[in-house]
Amino acid sequence: MQEDYINITLADDDEDDRLFFTDAFDEIKITTRVKTFNDGVYLMDYLNSKDATLPNVLFLDLNMPRKSGLECLKEIKQNPKFKDIAIAIYSTSASEEDIENTFVQGANIYIKKPSDFKTLKKVLSEVVTINWQYHTNSMNKDNFLLRF
Amino acid sequence: MTLFFKFDFNAICQIVLEQTLKDNDIKYKLVGFGEIEVLEKLTSDKQATLQAALDKYQIEIVENQKSILVQKIKDTIIDMVFNEDTVVNVKSSVYLADTLGHSYGYLSNLFSEVTYTSIENFIILQKIEYAKQLVIKQDLSLTEIAFRLNYSSVAHLSTQFKNTTGITPSAFQRIIAKRKAFNQDNNQD
Amino acid sequence: MIKTLSNNISFLRTTLYISAFVILVVGALTYRSITEVTKSSELITHTYKVNVELEQILSNLKDAETGQRGYIITKDSVFLEPYISGRSKINNSFAELKVLTKDDTILKESLIKVNSLINKRLLAFQTSYRSLPKGDIEDPNFIENFRNGRALMDSIRDNIKGIIKLQNNLLKQRRSEYESDLMATPLLLFSLLLCSLILMYVAYNSIYKNIKRLKATNEELEIFKESTNQSEIVSKHGSWTYNVKRDEFTYSDNLYRLLGEQPQSFKPTIENFLTYVHPDDVEKLTMQVEQMKENIELPYIYYRVVHKNGNIKHLKAYGKSVVNEDDETVLLGTTADITDEIISFRILEERNAELERNNKELSSFNYVASHDLQEPLRKIQTFLSRLIDEEEGKLSAKGNKYIDRIQNAATRMRLLIDDLLQFSRSNKADKVFEESNINLLLEAAKQDLAEVISAENAVITSDTFPTITVIPFQIQQLFVNLIGNAIKYRMEGKIPKINITHQIVEAENEDNIIKPKYSHYHKITFTDNGIGFDNQYADQIFVLFSRLHNKDQYSGTGIGLSICKKIVENHKGYITASGQPEKGAVFTVYLPIA
Repeated sequence: MQEDYINITLADDDEDDRLFFTDAFDEIKITTRVKTFNDGVYLMDYLNSKDATLPNVLFLDLNMPRKSGLECLKEIKQNPKFKDIAIAIYSTSASEEDIENTFVQGANIYIKKPSDFKTLKKVLSEVVTINWQYHTNSMNKDNFLLRF
Repeated sequence: MTLFFKFDFNAICQIVLEQTLKDNDIKYKLVGFGEIEVLEKLTSDKQATLQAALDKYQIEIVENQKSILVQKIKDTIIDMVFNEDTVVNVKSSVYLADTLGHSYGYLSNLFSEVTYTSIENFIILQKIEYAKQLVIKQDLSLTEIAFRLNYSSVAHLSTQFKNTTGITPSAFQRIIAKRKAFNQDNNQD
Repeated sequence: MIKTLSNNISFLRTTLYISAFVILVVGALTYRSITEVTKSSELITHTYKVNVELEQILSNLKDAETGQRGYIITKDSVFLEPYISGRSKINNSFAELKVLTKDDTILKESLIKVNSLINKRLLAFQTSYRSLPKGDIEDPNFIENFRNGRALMDSIRDNIKGIIKLQNNLLKQRRSEYESDLMATPLLLFSLLLCSLILMYVAYNSIYKNIKRLKATNEELEIFKESTNQSEIVSKHGSWTYNVKRDEFTYSDNLYRLLGEQPQSFKPTIENFLTYVHPDDVEKLTMQVEQMKENIELPYIYYRVVHKNGNIKHLKAYGKSVVNEDDETVLLGTTADITDEIISFRILEERNAELERNNKELSSFNYVASHDLQEPLRKIQTFLSRLIDEEEGKLSAKGNKYIDRIQNAATRMRLLIDDLLQFSRSNKADKVFEESNINLLLEAAKQDLAEVISAENAVITSDTFPTITVIPFQIQQLFVNLIGNAIKYRMEGKIPKINITHQIVEAENEDNIIKPKYSHYHKITFTDNGIGFDNQYADQIFVLFSRLHNKDQYSGTGIGLSICKKIVENHKGYITASGQPEKGAVFTVYLPIA
């Protein structure tokens, strides 16, 4: 019924955050495969390559050099090839308006980076689980909005 | 003009399934809730062909007994939440145990083991999912939605909605409306 | 003033006409009475002359008679001399009388009668003295003749006397008429002249008064003119008039000065004026002047002029048409030198821009600072949490305590940064006002606070709100902060109750509204039953970072209410607080009804 692991991808220019992210998934009991990119350009280059494994959930930091998370979001939403990817914005903080705006532009999940490792693990685990529910139960992804 | 649809996944799946089985010349007997008794011995080749035919509907053949039961639990819950005709007067745990013929403890453990989530969470997830559909349609007030979904109050629904999605119902409604407008604008360009 | 003057003028005119009429009447009357008098005296003279001639005739006849008697007695022909000369004298007198009486038919007839009697008498003389030498006086013919002569003589005398008597009567009558004329004329003349004099006096009086008033008015006008001149100089404006029909301009002294010229130093024409106008504005101004001539109206126009010394001045002109006494349309215009205003406006604009820049820098600094500070803080906290999770058992008790303290400090810093960030967001420039359903915003705020509301069993009651034009996110934030505040500062052991009311009020009836810019406001009050506060801190609680409670008791940062204040100020509204310790607090928000 399911694949062996869940594909997770993160684009974040901050080394520490990438570390927290991968460490967190290492400690979560769900079997995942985590790929990280240092900025939006690297990410999009990979996603657009032929042999790319498309992630189940893509985490995007908003503030990245060269190509921001929002730009990546727009590109991904314009390409039908990526329509099955759940997009999670993974950012330090933003105003209510900014958060709503990312949702309006097609993000499914908005995560304000937690300041506690336990919370981070919990959040990431929930994101994956709920996404999994949507995926396995053929739920309407248009209504998939999640905020932490 | 926007049209809203209400559909019964079970019925749709049933039709698709029966059609595919017929197309593949497989004799079957409906048992219900995604369970079909095949009245002949399936070769692995024939089963692969059937699976391939069902792939486009994202329907999978589940052989594992545990998975079958989990799927039954899910189907029961979805039916319980979404189907207005299914009126449940007892606790959902009792209803599940009665309907599926297993103790709730057994079902609960099994469910968590296979799905990474609990039955309770799954019920909430489905209820909120239904609430989302109703919120988007905009023809029911939040109070009416809370009533229909068996919540004791609007506050209770709002709280659970927010806890589950991180967003308030009104924000959800607003975002979906704006997204529709946004997508329309983009399509026009 | 003008009306009384014109009334006076018509009065004077009437007086003049009346006086002239009176004088004419007096003249005419005088002329008539003089003519009358002359005529009367002529008639009297005439009557006398007639009488004299008649007397003359009578005396001549008497002389002739006396001569005849003497001749009869003496037969000396010398005595006949008076008779012969008498005859021609009588004839002369008659000729004279004929001329005198040619208009008087009665007299003429009487005279003709007398004349024939005289002729008969004279014939009787002749007959008597001719018969005398042949006979003597005893001759009966003679005696008879003589007697006849005698009777004739008497009849002549009677006739003449009658005429004279008639003439005397006439004379008497004429004299009395003449005398009454002489008496009546001066009286009439005198009274008329008196009237005229009175009228003239009244007229004079009126003229005198008018002149006095005119003089006073003139003086006032003079002062006014001078003060206008002064005020034109001080306020840097000039005035002008334009007579549409005659196409003529007049310029006030100061208008010349506005052009950097001496008063009335050139002819006030549009052509001359345009030579001072800045080349870039000539076309615009010419066009507007043409329009002014057509429309008889001049809206505000702005242009520049260049003084001979090269100074550039900004002028603003405005004109309004009036109709003068001669029924001609005249445009009254004012031109003001607004160079100073424009300069100060520019300075103000620059300062404003600078202020805005500073404000923007400050708020973006605040935003960047709080936003960027979050990141390292978050990492500190995350590493700290991992440190605790993984290494807790390996640290000494002291080490664990320190880590605990570090965590507390970091949490506090997180709170501060979050609030500061929110504060800076409430300060952001891009504010989109939308007509919003406030009930939905309140509902959304309650949803935001659902967790804490249900945790504390808080009871929130509220009125139904109308739609108000607001920045929706901010008003929702305001509700969240105020309701959150009320729940945070609840009374121990009491269910927090918050009542939110709405009311439309008039600004002037609200003491809390100072210098209102709008007449009506939405008044939204939040009343709670929390711990309240001492009213003396009512203003202080809105100041950034100000706190009334120890941070160990309540985890506030002193920013929440500042955010509320900022939000309300963004809406050009007011927020006030009042409290009673242990009883509760009331927060009142006023949002303007634009």
